[in-house]
Amino acid sequence: MTRLSQGTSIPPALDESEPPAALAIPQRMGAALLSIAAQVGGIGVLAGQIATRLFPPRIDRYELTRNLYKMGVLSVGIVAATSIFTGAIMVIQAAPMVIRFNVKEIVGWGAGFATLREVGPLLIALMFSGRVGANNTAELGTMVVTEQIDALRALAIDPLSYLILPRIISMIVMIFILTIIGDVVAIGGAVGAAKVLLDVDPRSFMNSLVTLLDPWDFLSGLIKSIGFGTMIALTSCYFGLSVRGGAPGVGRAVNAAVVAAASGIFILDYFSTYLLG
Amino acid sequence: MDTDTASLTGIQGFAAKVGGAPLALVSELRGMWSVLARTLYYVVRGRRERGAIVEQMFAIGNKSLFFMTVTMGFIGMILVFQSGLQAQKVVPDYQVLGPLYLKMLVRDLAASIGAMPLATRVGAGIAAEIGSMVVTEQIDALRMCAADPIEYLVVPRFVASLIMTAALLIWAAFVAFIAGMITANLVFEVNFHTFMNATMVEPGDVLIGFTKCVAYGAAIPIVSAYCGLRTFGGSEGVGWATTSAVVNSCLAIIVLNFFISAAGYFVFPT
Repeated sequence: MTRLSQGTSIPPALDESEPPAALAIPQRMGAALLSIAAQVGGIGVLAGQIATRLFPPRIDRYELTRNLYKMGVLSVGIVAATSIFTGAIMVIQAAPMVIRFNVKEIVGWGAGFATLREVGPLLIALMFSGRVGANNTAELGTMVVTEQIDALRALAIDPLSYLILPRIISMIVMIFILTIIGDVVAIGGAVGAAKVLLDVDPRSFMNSLVTLLDPWDFLSGLIKSIGFGTMIALTSCYFGLSVRGGAPGVGRAVNAAVVAAASGIFILDYFSTYLLG
Repeated sequence: MDTDTASLTGIQGFAAKVGGAPLALVSELRGMWSVLARTLYYVVRGRRERGAIVEQMFAIGNKSLFFMTVTMGFIGMILVFQSGLQAQKVVPDYQVLGPLYLKMLVRDLAASIGAMPLATRVGAGIAAEIGSMVVTEQIDALRMCAADPIEYLVVPRFVASLIMTAALLIWAAFVAFIAGMITANLVFEVNFHTFMNATMVEPGDVLIGFTKCVAYGAAIPIVSAYCGLRTFGGSEGVGWATTSAVVNSCLAIIVLNFFISAAGYFVFPT
């Protein structure tokens, strides 16, 4: 404003000049908000486009099995490693309370409740997003940068139904299966930790787990994992497809995808906890 | 060596597959140990580049602040909601909900759960940056100038992460506690005064929590820098390096949490 009133001949263009100090922060906040809105909108549009391609379902079988193997089977090791430690940690954390209130008979329920409902699906989704989602973004981004997606279009192959649909389906199916595997392994880790630290008999551990735990607790964790899988699949595909600016752009897109998926998972977790509680 | 194991068949091929995984794990751990040892050496003995640490502190700390605040706010609400549901079954009243939550937050949850999103953000950033430097041969250029890339690139990130992770995780505990307090008030009608009760927090809890902050702050940059430094294969390699940095940092946090929690349980049992 001061520069204008002093009579400069050319008013500075908004996007090129240094904004005055008082406007710098609102401008940056607005830009950040607009970019978040654009990303959320882009993910929504992608979800809509994918949904229309589900009817009638024409899925490339080779792509589907390849992705199911790569995303699911190859992730079993890391999911199992995460889960066994998670289960053990849940018991270690509960141990001081168990001793204080002397409730050894329900430690199985306590650890199982937290693991199956909340921590298991959440941590498995984070690991899945780090391993599978980031890798998917990098792969799609490289395809965009090397113009392979355009090549598909030139051959009259719809990249969304040929490339993206199998990936999204495999991620959702595989995170569901991996969560079941992870839950089982986590319970195993919890049983081991309870035996070693608190001297709780594995049989009484499982007994309290089975009698006190609702099947719904287990199911709500699985329903959550489907939501997380959809979230990871859509964000990683969206950021992969919207890569700009060559090889460095791929790195930036991977970073942005991982961060977006992580915040999406936490926000989704909050709402699903309320809805399923 | 890869071609050798691939060409083996039958029982030998199986043995090679079984033995290959632990060998790969051992060599990875040795690589990380080497990065850690050299980083610690240069932290003590190396020259300091002015402003490098402050710049990294800004990139690691200030730029993660908003992300951490949002995620930890949501986590705080989830944790209190879940533990309230759990408390309903064990003890009828919510008197101990706040003190117990604060104890768990200090002892473990703030550090361990907060470190996960932090590792995702910071680890991916470090690995992508160092990885693209490797791919564009800037690391080789550094070596040609007789400058150790560890001294120039890893040490500032290590020191910055050590300080900023601790600061961010303490902030995370604060945010999670406030969010949990509001949730407890709205959902379970727990009075703010009843909830804000630090009588169950003991010095041992603070010590365990702080040990975790320092351990995670050290582990994230070391693991990510190691993954970034062994990048190969162009831009796709950078994507792979970022992926493995995020996964390995999260795994490192979980494993460290297991060992520190177990040790903490034996030293401070209650």
